[in-house]
Amino acid sequence: MPITVETPESVADVVGALGDGAIVLAGGTHVMPRINTEPHDVSALVSLRRAGLAGIDLAEGEATIGAATTLAQVGADARLAFLRPVIESIASPTIRNLATVGGNLFVEQPYGDLAVALLALDAQVDVAGPGGSGSLGVADVTGLPAGHVVTAVRFALPAEFRYTKAMRRRLNSASIVTVAAVLGPEPRLALGGAGRKPIRSASAEAVLAAGPLDRERADAAGRAALEDAEPFTDAYASAWYRGRVLPVHVRRALIGEAA
Amino acid sequence: MRSRVIELTVNDEPRELLAPPGTTLLAALRETLGLTAAKRGCAQGACGTCTVLLDGEPVMSCLVPVETIDGATVQTLEGVAGPDGGLDAVQAAFLEGFATQCGFCTSGMIMAAEALLATNPEPTRDDVARAISGNVCRCTGYESIINAVLDAATRRTAAVS
Repeated sequence: MPITVETPESVADVVGALGDGAIVLAGGTHVMPRINTEPHDVSALVSLRRAGLAGIDLAEGEATIGAATTLAQVGADARLAFLRPVIESIASPTIRNLATVGGNLFVEQPYGDLAVALLALDAQVDVAGPGGSGSLGVADVTGLPAGHVVTAVRFALPAEFRYTKAMRRRLNSASIVTVAAVLGPEPRLALGGAGRKPIRSASAEAVLAAGPLDRERADAAGRAALEDAEPFTDAYASAWYRGRVLPVHVRRALIGEAA
Repeated sequence: MRSRVIELTVNDEPRELLAPPGTTLLAALRETLGLTAAKRGCAQGACGTCTVLLDGEPVMSCLVPVETIDGATVQTLEGVAGPDGGLDAVQAAFLEGFATQCGFCTSGMIMAAEALLATNPEPTRDDVARAISGNVCRCTGYESIINAVLDAATRRTAAVS
């Protein structure tokens, strides 16, 4: 199908351009493969490149990252150094120079590792649409009706952040399982590769909240995480394998490899 | 659905081209500007053979609609050699280190390497592996390519000092 490309220069114009058959184009790493190689019914791509949505702000312990900020820009920002292992676990530098923070929220697992981290960070997602602007949680983004666009993600900088991603290769590979956690009085733990969307594990969080983190509690959190997971089979790993290794990687995320 | 006039600085020269709606940067380079070093491999951003530098950063040109980058600066393999056609350090190291076999990945590999060396003139072996991790080679294998990039770094550093 022939396709037009719009390059609006404001959020209002992005929303205005999102008519029937139009979709948002951020970095293009997820949309363009489909446009290039598959039958589709997209008639217009609405690019965010000139819409003023790239940039990182930190104020009073809260980070705000524009939706069109690239993964490379996040990975290069010293103020967000805790996210560097997340960013470097995603695809390759060449892809990260295009792929965006907003786009990562819409990528189905076993991709979308930043979305897993943002879920653990309890990030708020700012959106704009025909009815105005608002915000919602990471888990609700994929239910966003057509005509809306993510403009930014916001989260409080965590005191203690943990992350691990199990891959078939050391570099540039999809997730077998991904674990992201924020520790503290109200711990949050999110899983990738454990369902087609990133999953918050309330069961593991309850275990972590019940006492100090030691090897036994980390193991128990891993077993609990399995209760909330719905592992799937794909070319990277079987559902059985994902379920088998998930508790191990939860433990490793929480207390390290050697423990 | 009109074509749009797009201005790019390609290999240090201002270029103007007429882009039909939806044209990718890769298609504009190859089919309109006649610069065929960047290849169309997978068209999905998975193989890296279309890698060029967009405003100095290595990207997969098959994933970029050219209408979204009007005014940008693009560097392709054609712009890497000297004005007299002499090979640059990366090209020479690839040639002499047998880092090319069928050659289909080579232009992308070299552009990824150029981007690495521009910001990190003395990379470690691991730095090189990371830098080319989006570029797939199916014949030479990665060892000789990584060796060639390290060799190019040494040649450049030696030339400077």
